[in-house]
Amino acid sequence: MTSSAPAQFPVVAARALSQRVATADGKLVILSDVELAVKAGETLAITGASGSGKSTLLGLLAGLDQPSSGELFLLGQNLNALDEDARARLRAGRIGFVFQSFQLLPALTALENILLPLELAGRADARERASHWLDRVGLTARAGHTPRQLSGGEQQRIALARAFATDPEIVFADEPTGNLDADTGARIIDLLFELNASAHTTLILVTHDDALAARCQRRIHLVAGHVNKAAAA
Amino acid sequence: MSFARLGLWLLRRERANGEWRVLLLALIIGVGSVATTGFLGDRLKRAMSEQGAGFLGADLLVSSPRPITRWPQHTLTTSSAIEFTSMVARGDAFQLATLRAVDAAYPLRGSVRIAARPFEPGMVRPAQPPPGAIYVDASLLPLLNAQVGDRVQIGEMRFRIAGVVAQEPGQLGGVFGLAPRVFLRADEMAATRVLQPGSRVSYLYQFAGEPKPLAAFSAALKPTLDSTQRLVGSREGVETVRGAFANADRYIQLTALISLLLSVAAIAIAAHRHALRHYDQAALLRCMGATTAQLRTLYAVQLLTLGLLGSLLGVAIGAMMQQVLALMVLPDAATRLPALGLAPVGVALVSGLLALAGASLPALMRLIRVSPLRVLRRELPPLPLAAWISIAVSGSALLGLVAWVAGDARLVAVFVGALAGLAGVLFLLARLALLGGQAVQKLSHGPLRFGLAQLLRHRFDSTVQLGAFTLALFLVALLALVRSDLVDSWRAQLPPDAPNYFLVNIAPQQQADVTAFLRQNQLQASALYPMVRGRLVNKNGSPIAATLPPEDRDNPSLRRELNLTWTATLPANNAVLAGQWHGNQRDAVISVESGMAEQLNLAVGDTLGFQIGDQMLTARIGSIRSVKWDSMQPNFFVIFAPGQLDTLPASAIASVHVPANQAGVLPGFVKAFPGITVLALDKVIANIEAVFAQIIGAIQLLLGFLLAAGMAVVVATLLASLDARQQEAVLLRTLGAQRAYLAKSLWSEFIALGLLAGLLASACAEIAMALIAQRLFELPLRLHPWLWLVLPTAGALLVGLSGWLTTRHITRVPPMQSIRALG
Repeated sequence: MTSSAPAQFPVVAARALSQRVATADGKLVILSDVELAVKAGETLAITGASGSGKSTLLGLLAGLDQPSSGELFLLGQNLNALDEDARARLRAGRIGFVFQSFQLLPALTALENILLPLELAGRADARERASHWLDRVGLTARAGHTPRQLSGGEQQRIALARAFATDPEIVFADEPTGNLDADTGARIIDLLFELNASAHTTLILVTHDDALAARCQRRIHLVAGHVNKAAAA
Repeated sequence: MSFARLGLWLLRRERANGEWRVLLLALIIGVGSVATTGFLGDRLKRAMSEQGAGFLGADLLVSSPRPITRWPQHTLTTSSAIEFTSMVARGDAFQLATLRAVDAAYPLRGSVRIAARPFEPGMVRPAQPPPGAIYVDASLLPLLNAQVGDRVQIGEMRFRIAGVVAQEPGQLGGVFGLAPRVFLRADEMAATRVLQPGSRVSYLYQFAGEPKPLAAFSAALKPTLDSTQRLVGSREGVETVRGAFANADRYIQLTALISLLLSVAAIAIAAHRHALRHYDQAALLRCMGATTAQLRTLYAVQLLTLGLLGSLLGVAIGAMMQQVLALMVLPDAATRLPALGLAPVGVALVSGLLALAGASLPALMRLIRVSPLRVLRRELPPLPLAAWISIAVSGSALLGLVAWVAGDARLVAVFVGALAGLAGVLFLLARLALLGGQAVQKLSHGPLRFGLAQLLRHRFDSTVQLGAFTLALFLVALLALVRSDLVDSWRAQLPPDAPNYFLVNIAPQQQADVTAFLRQNQLQASALYPMVRGRLVNKNGSPIAATLPPEDRDNPSLRRELNLTWTATLPANNAVLAGQWHGNQRDAVISVESGMAEQLNLAVGDTLGFQIGDQMLTARIGSIRSVKWDSMQPNFFVIFAPGQLDTLPASAIASVHVPANQAGVLPGFVKAFPGITVLALDKVIANIEAVFAQIIGAIQLLLGFLLAAGMAVVVATLLASLDARQQEAVLLRTLGAQRAYLAKSLWSEFIALGLLAGLLASACAEIAMALIAQRLFELPLRLHPWLWLVLPTAGALLVGLSGWLTTRHITRVPPMQSIRALG
């Protein structure tokens, strides 16, 4: 744990965070009383079996959804007080995402997919930055190719470049190697941590891959919506 | 980058997407049809009213027994003429003629043809003769024993006959009781000193111009006219043509309306698919920090761009199509037709944007409200309440749009009601038909079995597709039927041997000789109807005007003398609607035409008083009768029982068909019977046929649009199911199905769908046709057996082909590539 930085304020904090959904058989508890604080620059892995609530927690922490109860702070803002549009504005340019299924826009080229968040954030040097990040992930030769023409590993590298291109304060990654074979997955993980280290970004990732979780500074394990304290490192 | 620019950027990147293309195509087709009908309707209406104006000689005609000196202010072109009767003499021979003193501008509309010899077609010339000359009706020459070039006396002036009037406007207006026509110069009329105080004169004032100033002028003028003065618009020029106008207007509106609705359906389906395919994109953009407002901007800009692009292209195509059509149908009129108006452009653009907004708003609402959480969990948001509101709003917007385009609230109400009902019925029918398909599927095998199973497995999709295909086929069939029935019924009314000449003013002692002459020359003629002229003055003992509400008193049947006849035989093309035909009854009984009875509030049993010359005659109404006015036969408002009018001086009238190769007998006829006026109806018939040719041309073009719109619906529905199909095809190929097997199963599916749609459409078309024929067009009912063959065949071909073209690549792509594309 690199807590040497002086008195860092947590960039993500959850207090008594619960998520319940109404189903035909009554209320289903997905998350229950999650307490969490992530400091700037920290890397955190959220692990757990399928259906343990990992992705739900990630969605809540990133402000993509509203919790049923509990308090949630993101980048110093109380998310409970913000509506969906206000949360979106908070995300713009400050949060990056990496998804299991890459989520590149099929009509755009590799370069344009990286360009998209930069343009949205209104960066004046959007094109230069996009080219720079395309180079960082080693795909300059593929700039004009559309996602269909790229392999899964290449698509995820583009997605990594897209996530880091805006210099976000936090990057959320949801099973970033879930759709990749072991070799490719390992290379993506190397790249992810390399980019993260050089950008000093806070990284919160969801995975059930122990090797990946082990590379994070901290890890919480979810069992049926509860944080399993014993497994937390 | 602003979201508006981002929207354009993404749109440019996605322009090859199927749903964008279908959306744009449907929009172009819809707007194109609206624009074509708009331009064409506008120009055709003007061309048609020009035809009507041709009959009248002007757009507006005012006739008055006194000169009118004060007019409302206007910017119209004018011409005036004075019409009076006078003797024309040459040597010992003299004849009463109808003289029309015209200025250089006469006629403002239509044309006058002057020939060098009687019964020749002649050349278009100004009606105003050269100084010192007159143009005369062909029938005047034998009466005066004169030829073109001879000199005749009118009052105190001598004139040279410079030509024969072969055609003039207003020929229909005064078919009966017409003395031969003479045209002379208005500036030479005074010198004849024919007109004295108290002379019976009609002052004819003609006006021509744009519709708006005409309407304003007409509205301002009406209150200043008294009961002796008449205002006639070109649209009222001729009864027969008016009916054709009304049908043409309706028909054109109807077609534009249906094309637009079909396009809207295609747009809605394409927009829905577009939204489905863009939930991920929208969710991703929301993750990256886009707000709902920003997403709204993004997608609205895309839609607006597509809307403008599609609408402008549609307008351009519409402008081109109507020009092509105008050149095709009206080669000589095309150059004369009014320039393209800006109003149709506006209508088409607004229609396009409204249609696009209305059809795609619900899908768009769902798209911009997508939860960003979708990037983690692929779940669709339920249709939010606001989307239902937007459906209602866009629905009423579309309805308003349709009403605006059609411009006839009743027609729209009937049509939209029928369409809504139809959609429900089609849905049920489609379900039933699919149940029937299940039985067939059990008996079949191989790819056919698989194809049918596809239809049945995606029951909801199939129902929607079947419903949409059926609707497209049905509407096209319906319009084709209405078209052919409309034309057929007109042709049926006008057989090739329809009378083309009227013989007027046949003296009683000539009747036997005329009949003999016609028989000798093997000419088909109607019966000879004796005719006296009389004015209807009272009903059941009171003055007739007093029995009517003030607004109905200005009725042509009261204002002028009626042509009265008597016969024991009910004329062909007449049918008794109430009471009993008098036959050979020798009482004072009459039969009255139904329209006149309605206008004057007359019923069987009423007693009417007629002023005939200086005699008063009363008769009881024995029957009310319908008359086919466009039959080109002598038709009468009032027919007496035989024996009532015998003592009155009567001349007879007959109609006759003279084949073109026998036109040579006419001069002989005129020579043999100098007192009889021969009126050519050829020109009138040709005019009416020209109007129909225009209508048919317009309709054929519009049917093309309709078919295209139907195809767009077909392709849009298929595109909507393409992803699921591709997945299945990949699976099948992975499991070892051969390409041919997949192709055959696709073909069997689409052909079955097309056949079913064709059968359903046939049933719907027959039912709707029966309703429309009776309610809207007042045509007789009939069935169309050929429909049941043509529609299913066309359906199978159309759906099969568009289905194959849309889906064929899914059988060609190697499974591995397909799997990756789906990833």
